Amino acid sequence: MYFEVQGRQAFATTGGKPFDHAKPAVLFLHGSGLDHTFWGLHSRFFAFRNYAALVPDLPGHTNSAGPALESIEAMADWLNDVVEALDVRNISLVAHSMGCLTALEFASRHGERLRSVSFIASGLATPVNKALIEAAENDPEAAIAMMLGWGFGPAGHMHQGPIPGNSMLAGGRKVMRGNVPTELATDLRACDAYENGKQAAAAISVPVQVILAGKDRMAPRKAGLELVEHLPDPEVTIIEESGHMVPQEAPDRCRKLLRDFIFRENPAAAST
Amino acid sequence: MSRFLNFDTLSLHAGQTVDPVYGARAAPIYQTTSYVFPDTDTASSIFNLERGGHAYSRITNPTVGVLEQRIAALEGGSAAVCTASGMAATFCAITAILGQGDHIVASTQMYGGNISLMKNTLPRFGITTTFVDPTDTDGFAQAIQDNTKLIYGELIGNPGLDILDLEAIAKIGADNHVPLMVDATFNTPYLCRCFDYGANMTIHSMTKWMGGHGVAIGGVVVDGGNFDWGTTDKYPTITEPYAPFQGINLWEEFGPSAFATRIRAEAMRDFGASMSPMTAFLLLQGIETLSLRMDRHMSNTMQLLDYLSNHDQVSWVNHPSLPSHSSHELAKKYLPKGAGAIISFGVQGGREAGKAFIENVELASHLANVGDAKTLIIHPATTTHSRIDADALVAAGITEDMVRLSVGLEDVADIKADFEIGFRAAKQFA
Repeated sequence: MYFEVQGRQAFATTGGKPFDHAKPAVLFLHGSGLDHTFWGLHSRFFAFRNYAALVPDLPGHTNSAGPALESIEAMADWLNDVVEALDVRNISLVAHSMGCLTALEFASRHGERLRSVSFIASGLATPVNKALIEAAENDPEAAIAMMLGWGFGPAGHMHQGPIPGNSMLAGGRKVMRGNVPTELATDLRACDAYENGKQAAAAISVPVQVILAGKDRMAPRKAGLELVEHLPDPEVTIIEESGHMVPQEAPDRCRKLLRDFIFRENPAAAST
Repeated sequence: MSRFLNFDTLSLHAGQTVDPVYGARAAPIYQTTSYVFPDTDTASSIFNLERGGHAYSRITNPTVGVLEQRIAALEGGSAAVCTASGMAATFCAITAILGQGDHIVASTQMYGGNISLMKNTLPRFGITTTFVDPTDTDGFAQAIQDNTKLIYGELIGNPGLDILDLEAIAKIGADNHVPLMVDATFNTPYLCRCFDYGANMTIHSMTKWMGGHGVAIGGVVVDGGNFDWGTTDKYPTITEPYAPFQGINLWEEFGPSAFATRIRAEAMRDFGASMSPMTAFLLLQGIETLSLRMDRHMSNTMQLLDYLSNHDQVSWVNHPSLPSHSSHELAKKYLPKGAGAIISFGVQGGREAGKAFIENVELASHLANVGDAKTLIIHPATTTHSRIDADALVAAGITEDMVRLSVGLEDVADIKADFEIGFRAAKQFA
């Protein structure tokens, strides 16, 4: 669905069900260069179990008008405006990679509607290789190749995918190519500049869950465990066989972890 | 891995997870109709497209899935759906986006089955086609109507072998918000990856070079994932709620694989032209050696072009690799590794000479197929293109004396020796 936020057109999918703001919500945040399709195997699951699923494209990504936002703090403010515009309540926030930094900032500054946060494949900060930022600025196709090359584990490189017939690597490449090329560089600079992770993590007061990946080369285990250290009593799981793209590379395991956590912390009527 | 795997590696490995129970290295043949669900929640979530998985082999099958993901990888597409044949792939792909009152712009130079489908069968379902000479790029633009929803052609036209100017025609499609679907059977992704030049979907008869051994009938539709269906309201089957799946919007939910998902959700369920697991296994064996075979096909083709071009009983030879061919420059651009293994030529003496040649060769097989490991010959005017009318024959570039040759992998000296037997028999009509 399309709606207006901060004077620009924004887009979000709702998991194949009409959005009902009266239901407990599961709000999914994608990472740099990606879009709403990253979460399809999770958003539909919750939408079909009496949750209001909301999966926005960040500004400048696929269906939301650009330009991309230049800081993590601006992304958190934009997200808060989305939540207020759609009157989203009782939110379980589920975030991946750059989305986790936004989730940290949102939860610490605008957390009154939150019921839980799930962090997937992230640390407290995301320092970005300078060569990657330069590639994103000057040669986006090379930057996309670098990100997907590092982002996916072995299954992704073999063009496997959880949906029969679909290549998650090629699908990711299509999504990244479909975005305005310069927006990827903006995302990466925003990640690189973010420094408030420790303070933001300490300010979170709702239940939190952390899902890390054993073969993650973009947010390595050590960085993820640093996030764990600064969060209040998180539930932590490491999926050893997955690369950085956990929701796509290990969707069944990831979905079960999200389901068990969100059903408990933010129950919906008749959720099973 | 920090970089993408290359073609030959993907040909062997893409799409396959090594069997976790017995460690079988080859892709197992999952010869089963159906799959035991661990619980009701998993069952319903597979039916609702909430998660991947297999429910019934008409829709998906693990062996077929390996083949689909392997082809998607080789083509650079986001997803692929295998079908019972190449014609099934074409029908399923067209009907995924077109219906009553819609229109196709298609090349005149195509496999006779494609032409018959669009000329005779689809009009009964309210879908009409305007045919355009593949060398007349402007003609494609002029043929676009308000209700045009598809441009369709073969990169290497059958049997005239004219080359479609992919980039130019893809741009015409993009300017009019119409996708370009290419039957890429003759080129395979090894000779040309059509998505790199702007095509939006490809079709293959995998019966031909992809399988390569003439042992299995099969087809595939590959979704390039590069067409923005949502720009206009022209494609409601992709961008509007789909009632059989609780009103899900495929474009919003599946993005770059929305078109493939529509085929999976509708055509495989309602039409049921599915590929069998055994067929998928046989075709996987062929895909493993695709690049090796295509290199040999191209090498033999070039040597036979030289032989036929210099033979005193051959009145003409047609192949895009020859400088005399009108598509030679396009062939160099789109098909630098070779412009396919089909040669057409005329035997001096016309129809009777051609008939004598075909009936007397011993190694080359006279049959209605192309893309086998073995050399094949046929007379198109009386066989593959016999169901289209005289005007369409001319438009397709087919003459009475034409012999169509599908160059095989035999030792080329043996093919030449075999042809000498045929030419000796044809000499009386020269």
